[in-house]
Amino acid sequence: MKWILFAWKNVMRNKRRSLTAMLITAMGTAAVLIGGGFALFTYESLEEMTARDSGHVVLAAARGFDNDEDVPLQHGLAGAAALAAHYAAQPGVRAVAPRIQFSGLISNGDKSTVFVGSGVDPAVDFRLRGPQLEFVAGEAPGASDAVPEVAIGNELAGLMKVKVGASLTLLATTTEGNLNAVDVIVRGIVKTGVPDIDRRLVMTDIRAVQRLLLSDKVGSLALYLKDTAQTEAMAAQVKAARPELAVRTWRDLAVFYQAVRALYNRIFGILGLIMVVIVAFAMSNTLGMAVVERTREIGTLRAIGTQPGEVVRNFVLEGAAIGAAGAALGMLLAGGATVALLFAGIDMPPPPGRSVGYPLLLSFSAPLYLGAMLVVVALAATAAWFVSRRAAHKPITEALSHV
Amino acid sequence: MNASTMLAERTATVRLTDLKKRYRVGDDWAEALKGVSLTAAAGEMVALTGPSGSGKSTLLNLAGLIDTPDAGTREIAGKPVDGLDDAGLTVLRRERVGFIFQGFNLVPVMNVADNVEYPLLLLGRPAAERRQKVAEILERTGLAAFANRLPDALSGGQRQRVAIARALVKSPSLVIADEPTANLDSHTAQQIVDLLRELSHERGAAVVVATHDERMSAHCDRVLRLADGELISGERQ
Repeated sequence: MKWILFAWKNVMRNKRRSLTAMLITAMGTAAVLIGGGFALFTYESLEEMTARDSGHVVLAAARGFDNDEDVPLQHGLAGAAALAAHYAAQPGVRAVAPRIQFSGLISNGDKSTVFVGSGVDPAVDFRLRGPQLEFVAGEAPGASDAVPEVAIGNELAGLMKVKVGASLTLLATTTEGNLNAVDVIVRGIVKTGVPDIDRRLVMTDIRAVQRLLLSDKVGSLALYLKDTAQTEAMAAQVKAARPELAVRTWRDLAVFYQAVRALYNRIFGILGLIMVVIVAFAMSNTLGMAVVERTREIGTLRAIGTQPGEVVRNFVLEGAAIGAAGAALGMLLAGGATVALLFAGIDMPPPPGRSVGYPLLLSFSAPLYLGAMLVVVALAATAAWFVSRRAAHKPITEALSHV
Repeated sequence: MNASTMLAERTATVRLTDLKKRYRVGDDWAEALKGVSLTAAAGEMVALTGPSGSGKSTLLNLAGLIDTPDAGTREIAGKPVDGLDDAGLTVLRRERVGFIFQGFNLVPVMNVADNVEYPLLLLGRPAAERRQKVAEILERTGLAAFANRLPDALSGGQRQRVAIARALVKSPSLVIADEPTANLDSHTAQQIVDLLRELSHERGAAVVVATHDERMSAHCDRVLRLADGELISGERQ
């Protein structure tokens, strides 16, 4: 305890210099924590978005994910209703959503264009997708046995020049390879925030799609879990119980998430490295000057029986104290920024390929804060060790005559 | 060798024999010590005098184990020290040797009590023992009222008292003092000499002191005069 007290007194010996080193360390720590908090928030948002879109665990027939079908639902999943009922009853499963991805032409009578459709269970899917699917007009389509209802992307609605209540025709290839058509009514106009999707999107009741494609199969079953952390466990459970099925997790299907994560990891990794270098230089400079100024004192301490290792230890404690104080200040700054952004209501501009921005928020992560503190303290201690070891081993007579 | 020198020789705390030391100066070598021997017994105060460059500081450094001789042998408390490595010499200094410097060399961020306590801390003495010994020597050196002051808040004489207390608190076998009165007025210098003499006698420490100050040497048991790295006279007071 005495040694720590001495170290702190030495830190306070040149307050302005120590404070400068602490502030540099604090800014570096805060930058890393804010950058890390932003990356974490992005990851969490993308995780949620992806999981809401695809479901946590997705089941399909053996070749259901191969994307090499000659006709729609060639590798579709039969008996999906029983399977859905079985998994819906499992603890930890919030909902099960059957889906069919299909495509074809959509026409308003005067004009046709390509659409990418999604057959869904309206009662389940529109609830699960949450804020990711914004209704700009109308509401979610229902499960109608008469004329099917659809929700279409806002850009597609503009292209087709239709509003809610308008009638359109969907034309698609059946499972037998023939063309089939169905008239639909626009019940809602949606916006996903991705113009490329909004230009093609058609969502409707899965039973209408099955009638259009002349099949009772589904493309996949999406299991929505109560806890995202249980994804891998549930996937393993399904694989073990149903080895004939192909099973993917949201992570396997989240190409965008993986790409963003890889990019951000690289960007913030480099930012962290730059901060490490800055903090190391600041600390080496501060402690290096202290060591030079205190060479005579080091000689005195050595003369009265202090081992070189003990001299170095004292400087390491000083470095660690400066590092810990700087890191603590940096944590406060980053924590303050995290809280302030909750109330500031600042939006980031839309990312490439999207039409809507997203809120600028930072995630708080205790392991990240603890890790930053440990890294900064270790870095400061290492810098102190590096700059003091030579002075500690200097011949005592030479150190005592230092001016 | 007269009778008193023989007595010192028999009970020597420090025995330096035929020490030689030379330094490189540019392309040449300068001989700082040319075979100097010295002994000091417990409680004895030996003054080293001589002009600048005579080898006083070199001899003091060798006696205090902070420099190594090119030739000759050294013993502290009957144990040869020249085979020891740096760590061993440091341990020996920690346990057996106290230092008093001309410029006091106190640690400025430590208060008086902490400066005095430092050698005991190095020795790993328990806190209660440290507190008791520090209080005792501060009382003895008249510094009890200044225990919590920083060195900057003390006069030169008070700082040198702190240095004496720091050197003697662990009851060393040997005290090395380098011009301890050089920066003090004559009245304070006299007090410092008296204090050093008293405490070293009490604690049985041999004191080797390099000085130009005749008031200092006048109070020493023996005065050794050095010139050009050689001992030219040694006399009992």
